[in-house]
Amino acid sequence: MLVRKVKERLFLAGITILTFLTILPLFHIIFSVAVEGLPVILRGGWDFIIGTLAPPDDGLGGIGPAIVGTFVLTFLASLLGLPIAILTGIYAAEYPNSMLGKATRTLLMIMMEFPTILVGLFVMQILVVPMGSYSALAGALALAIVMMPYVAVYTEEALRGVPEKYREGAFALGLTRFNVVFRVLIGLARKGILTGVLIGIAKVAGETAPLLFTAGGATRTYFNGIDRPVGAIPLLIYDLVQQPYENYHEIAWGASLLLLIIFLAIFLPLRLSLKEVKL
Amino acid sequence: MDRFKIFLAPFCGLVFGLFILMLIVYFTSSLPIFEREGLAIYTTNVWKASEEPEKEFYGVLAAIYGSVYTSVLAVLIALPLSISFAVFVIDYAPKKLKEPLIVATDVMAGLPTIIYGIWGAFVLVPILKRFVMMPLYEHLSFIPLFSFEPSTGYSYLSAGVLLGIMVTPFASAIIREAYRSIPYIYREGIYALGATRYEATKVLLGYIKPAIVAGILLAFGRAIGETVAVSLVVGNVFNIHPSLFAPGYTISSLIANQFGNAFIYGYMVPALFAAGLSLFIIGLAVNLAGLMYLGRFKHAR
Repeated sequence: MLVRKVKERLFLAGITILTFLTILPLFHIIFSVAVEGLPVILRGGWDFIIGTLAPPDDGLGGIGPAIVGTFVLTFLASLLGLPIAILTGIYAAEYPNSMLGKATRTLLMIMMEFPTILVGLFVMQILVVPMGSYSALAGALALAIVMMPYVAVYTEEALRGVPEKYREGAFALGLTRFNVVFRVLIGLARKGILTGVLIGIAKVAGETAPLLFTAGGATRTYFNGIDRPVGAIPLLIYDLVQQPYENYHEIAWGASLLLLIIFLAIFLPLRLSLKEVKL
Repeated sequence: MDRFKIFLAPFCGLVFGLFILMLIVYFTSSLPIFEREGLAIYTTNVWKASEEPEKEFYGVLAAIYGSVYTSVLAVLIALPLSISFAVFVIDYAPKKLKEPLIVATDVMAGLPTIIYGIWGAFVLVPILKRFVMMPLYEHLSFIPLFSFEPSTGYSYLSAGVLLGIMVTPFASAIIREAYRSIPYIYREGIYALGATRYEATKVLLGYIKPAIVAGILLAFGRAIGETVAVSLVVGNVFNIHPSLFAPGYTISSLIANQFGNAFIYGYMVPALFAAGLSLFIIGLAVNLAGLMYLGRFKHAR
């Protein structure tokens, strides 16, 4: 009996400790990023947000082009990816038992898990090589491919969550299937679809790997056309961390804090308004 | 066949088309290296880049080894953490703590990976080097695992630990959902038999074994595909070494590091596409297996 009691105690203590070990890194990360990044942003002031990158070992400058680039890339990726993703989600929800419907659902699950660096390499080969230059368009296409499965899966689940009687009611009014879906069901499922859209946006705004060989990066020029290279905050951090210069490391921390704030600003309200999310 | 279906099907087709095109691009782009070297690209560890194509030779075994090594480490770390987290949150956490704990892991799962990267490179690696690697190396270096002198700290261990931290929330979300779904009657039954909480949990975990396997496989798939965070801490050296403290390469960090200047060489681009193809296939196989286990578990219920 004693042995069982000891085992029980050890077990409870063990899982409690391991649980806190699981989330400890999150707090350590937030703490580190805030401690290292906040002084940089405060020192840089407005210039840090709107200025361009400083030369090595010479002050802070700013990360303006990267911030603009992240917004441009996210916007373009949404433009390219959202319509296709939502329509694909509708298909999977409307025809769940058809061959294409089943296959689509499996494909979407696979794409969610797919290594994002491979998407970047793929887009490089089909778009950057023929065009002869890195471009915002290539970066946006890579991000759109990463974003699509999240949006499609959320759309599908939101539509399938609409009670059957609404669909029956709409059909009983004599609406065509097109109108049933677009005038009735989409409206009822809008919260779920919007969630998927925002999750997708939060995801791609922080992506680095798909942009490595597509967006090209730009630290001193602002966005100047979708066929030109463009910067992004994650890409900038990745480049700066690998540089030997002390001031570049500082800028990287400042940029990380900014990225963290952008991510939490989209993600936290979203997560708190829901029961669970898929990532 | 209704018109609506015909209207929607092309969009589904487009997504499929993209995926198939991706597979085709990987096969055709890596073809030149297979024609030149055969399977030696996967079975040797050499990286001879040269302006003259005759002298070039590439073998990415070190990267494949590193990818598998670091991902296995990640899973070994994630397994106890994610199971404990799932059990604690569902069964034992005080009510007020439950939701915040789950939100915290969701934030971790969605956090931009570059933030893990900068934290890993500047914070985690020095900590690991000072408090884990140096003591183990000084006292136990006769064991092969600890035999490499940790000069920089960038190593398989650093990458494995960072990946473990990154994939734990993801594995635990899958295990948590499964653990929550165990019918209440089983719990009542086990406790009615007089089991302690430890014994009950052991039995209940046996019930969701397929979901645990699925969580681990999918976590492995995530870990092996992760790029930027790993490439900042793994050391990026062509190396096949048994020691945890040795620096190495992974497939994704190899691509991230070398692709930028690969176009000036004759065969480096195909070699990197071949490396990508191996990642493509490993990732696809592991993820499909994971999804299959998950589907089987959900179906059996």
